[in-house]
Order: sequence, then structure tokens, then C-alpha cells
Amino acid sequence: MTEQTAQSEPQPPQSATGGGAHDLPKDAAHRLEELEHGLFTSDLSVNEFLLVKEAGFHPLGFVMGSSIYHIGIQTRKWGESQELAKLTEAMYTARELAMNRMEEEAEELGADGVVGVRLDVNYYEWGNDSAEFIAFGTAVKAEDGTSYRNALGKPFTSDLSGQDFWTLMQTGHVPQALVMGTCVFHIAHRKLTQALGSMGQNVELPNFTQALYEARELAMTRMQDEAGRLNASGIVGVRLEEKSHQWGSHTIEFLALGTAVTKTSGEVTLPKPTTIISLDN
Amino acid sequence: MRGEPGSGAGATTGGGAASDLPEAAVRRLESTAFSSGLTVPDFAACLDMGLQPVALVQGFCVMQWGWYGPGSGYMRGMSPYSGGEQTPGAYSEIYRCPHGYVSNEHRMWGQNLEQPWVEGAWAQGYGAAYSRMLEEAGTHGAHGVIGVVDRVSNVADTGTTEFHFLGTAVTVEGGPPPAGGVPWSTYLAGQRLTKSIEAGFMPVAVVAALASVRVWAYCMTEYYMEGTMGWGVPGEPRLVEQVSKAHMAVRQLARKHVRQQLAGDELHGATIDVVTRELSQGDEVVDCTLRGNRVRRFKDFDQVVLPRPTVRLA
Repeated sequence: MTEQTAQSEPQPPQSATGGGAHDLPKDAAHRLEELEHGLFTSDLSVNEFLLVKEAGFHPLGFVMGSSIYHIGIQTRKWGESQELAKLTEAMYTARELAMNRMEEEAEELGADGVVGVRLDVNYYEWGNDSAEFIAFGTAVKAEDGTSYRNALGKPFTSDLSGQDFWTLMQTGHVPQALVMGTCVFHIAHRKLTQALGSMGQNVELPNFTQALYEARELAMTRMQDEAGRLNASGIVGVRLEEKSHQWGSHTIEFLALGTAVTKTSGEVTLPKPTTIISLDN
Repeated sequence: MRGEPGSGAGATTGGGAASDLPEAAVRRLESTAFSSGLTVPDFAACLDMGLQPVALVQGFCVMQWGWYGPGSGYMRGMSPYSGGEQTPGAYSEIYRCPHGYVSNEHRMWGQNLEQPWVEGAWAQGYGAAYSRMLEEAGTHGAHGVIGVVDRVSNVADTGTTEFHFLGTAVTVEGGPPPAGGVPWSTYLAGQRLTKSIEAGFMPVAVVAALASVRVWAYCMTEYYMEGTMGWGVPGEPRLVEQVSKAHMAVRQLARKHVRQQLAGDELHGATIDVVTRELSQGDEVVDCTLRGNRVRRFKDFDQVVLPRPTVRLA
């Protein structure tokens, strides 16, 4: 394999107001203030709620963050596979902004963490080349007063469901953060001479293999770098997503997502699974 | 190549034998933190079993399938009318028209024929991607790869096919290095893997094969597939023998190809996917992919705990 085309790390995000924190809308602040009086909201199912409670956490409120981001243009070479660093940066920054705002809401509630985080991208007809990045989840706090904040002193975030959160705690691991890495890659078109050269043959196309390989590896490396900054011992539930968004089929975003975890104790006593026969229909 | 995917017969991207991982892959794999594509329940079961995840590993291969190219050596046997030489040992059945000469358009000849060049290309792509995944696992000193997911998809609008493998490399606490230095692999993870091991079967490798049969319809098949008895006359329900036999044959061939990879071991958790691509006038291609876990018995069954009758409240 040859050297990759670009390795630039996405830059830390700038918030919409230019500052780093407390740029929540007025309505959000008001809603969170109401939640501080004991009422909680959450998107947890009943089973998830029970298991989050069982794990020793109490839901504080449904939190979210949003960022509408203009995704710029980057020229690409028709016959060359390359990372589109500007687009990579835009996709990363926009998600980070949404995540930061969600974390700010959790901070306002004094949460230890956010479970069930989901990251969505929406496109609207009124905004060509713009997309809304949304992050939402349920802020939780440990009932025994123990702090579960991550190595950066922020509430942990995780895309784990209530059930998975409980199971993870049973393994002696705690979530640190939802970590991600992204890479927007342009896959080269084949030149006529290349197509003619391999016409009628069953052959591997090393250029395509290399481009796709490289793009996914870059996304995963960046995700792992995020976990490294948190001194995480590992990442669970890694997903690799691929989308062309609105760029055409040859430009693809590779997104790696997972929950960084750290080990808390050496001793693990997992409950033994029980085999059952369901008497339901 | 139709051997075990891990045999390394698939060509590497650089044409060499090994160490052709991208620079980003090498850098990622040097990280001390583990990554895993396992769900949390699978991760928990993995730890409980004494397996330590070390890295999410992957392998890719983009293939061009050129068997339809004009003048290609892969055209052998593409048409019974061309009189091309059949691949020795490949499945082939010939059907002859019962009507005699009717017209130049009348299809007096039909044939079901296996397409080994298609199967070979699939096995090459699958094997190359698989080898690369194992190579990544090997750089970690992994004993095995669990929760393997393989995907075969088209790359953008390039008309090419990508073979994509993902899995979680694991080490066995206190375990010896894998036999021959090649990590074992399995599609299973979590409780399914636990139960398989408790039942006395250790994973050896994931195995898969594609079988492909081309149906060149003769007149009767053409009529039946149109729902007539010929010349537009509606017909009663009948067995379409040529197509039925093609479907039977493609499944049997897939099983035969996979059996050749087992080398005396057993196949568990097999899944079979059949895709039919209609061409025209009753012609079609039937592709069958068979995947499963090659396992080896290493002990007797553990005592099975009696299941508890349960009623779900949800």
C-alpha cells in the first residue's frame, strides 16, 4: 500500500457563538431549570429505565444539542482517490458541536453522564449544502453520589441502551465517551485505459481496494485517537457507517462510532445466563 | 481458489503475499486501547469466557468480474450455441426441443451450466479480504476473530464488487498460540459462541462458497416461464423442470464447495442465500451463497441445564 493522501486531524470545533460553552438557547435553559426541581424526562423505555435504576443511576432529563452547518465545497480529481479533508473536518466539527451542546445541557443538570446517545443528520429543502446535526440522549446521575465523570471532567456519553449500560457495568467497565472518527473520501473513477486493460478478466482492482481500506482505517484511527485522549482501555460496540449524503456516489463519508470504556475493578462477577422456554405464543 | 478462505490464496493489493496493510491500519493497530465491534452483551460473554478483545479488524477486496467480456477466456461454455468447451467436472445438463424444426427463433436447445469462472472470482475476492482481516489479527498476536461479519456489495456506480470483512480479534487468557500461526475465526459471538464451546465444538474458520448456474432456456422452459403452453395458449400448472433442476443443482454445488473446505470438520450455523437474476426469454442466472462456521469437536457435551419455563410480561 502506498502513502495515504491526507492525514490531517479534524480541528476542535468552534461553537456557534464563538465561545466554548453556555451558548444554550433561552428556552433550553428554562426547560432545564424546570427539570432541576425533581421532574425528569427521558426517552428510555420502561425496561431501560428499570435497568438504569438497577445500575444505580437516576435519569435527570432528556438532553440534546443541535448544529446547522454549511458544508462547503471541495474540488476533487476525477481519476484520483483522495481524502476530502475540508469535508471531513466539516462533518466532524458539526457533530462535535451538537455533542458539546448536549453535554452542556447535561452539565446544567449536574449529570454524571448521558446514555442512549443518538446522532442524526437531517437535510432540509431550504438549505442547500447545509445539514442539521443533532445529538440527544438521557442525562443520568449516580444515586450514591459517586462521580462517574470522564477523564476530561465532563459527563460521560454513550450510545448504549439502558440494558447495555447495565450489562457493561456488570463487567467492571464504565463508559467514558461516545467516540467517533470520520473520513470523507473521493473514490476515483476508472480511466478508459484502465477499464480496457482489465476488460473481460476477473481481477482485483487494487486502487479501489486501497482507497476504501484507507478511508475506513483513517476513520477508525481517529476514533481510537479520541479514546486515547480519554485514557480509555477500549471501545465497545464499534459501528462503521457509510453514506454519500448529497455528494454523489463516488464521494463517501466513513463514520466510525463506539463507546470508549475504562476498567474500574479487576473482579468481575457476571450473572450466569439462564436458559428459558418461552410460554408465550 | 475454492479452498479455505484463510489459505491466503487470494492476491493481496500489492500483489505480494503479506504486510500490505495501509499505513493507517498499522498506526491504528499499534494503539494500546482495544476496540471491538461486539455488542455489550457479546462483549460481556466474551470476557466471561476468558477471551480478551484486542482490536476491531477488517479486510477488503474490490473485484472486477469480467466473465461477460467479449473474447475473454472466461467465455468458455457461455453459450451452448457457441460449442465452447465445458469446464471439466462442472455441472451441465442439456435439454432438447420436442417439436423439431419450427423456425429460426424457436429455441431448440437449452442448457443448465455451472459457471466456475464466476465462483472462482467470488472465492478470490472473499479469500483476499478474509486473509487481510486475519493478517490484521495476526499483527496483534490474536488467537482468533469472533463476531465476523462479511458483506458483498457494489462500489458506488463502478460496476465492481467489494468484499468487506469485519470482526473482533481476541486473545485467549493463558492460551497457546493458534495452530500454524493462523488465528481461528467464527461468525459467532456472545452466548451463541459460549453455547457452541460448551457443547464441545471449537471454532476453526468461517467458510463460504458461491455456486452459480446459468440457465439457457429451451422452448418449453421459455413457454412455461411465460405461463403458457406455447404460442400464447394458456396452460395448466406444470413443473418447470429445467429451472427446478438449476435451483437444486446450485444448492448442491454450494454445499459441495463448502464441504471441500471442511477437511473432515463439521459445519455449524449454516445460512444459505439464493439470488436469481432474470435475463430474458426464460434465461436466468441462479447464484447460491452458503456460509457457516467450521468447527471441530474437542470434548463431549457439557451437562445441559434444564430451561426454565418463562412468561414475558411485555
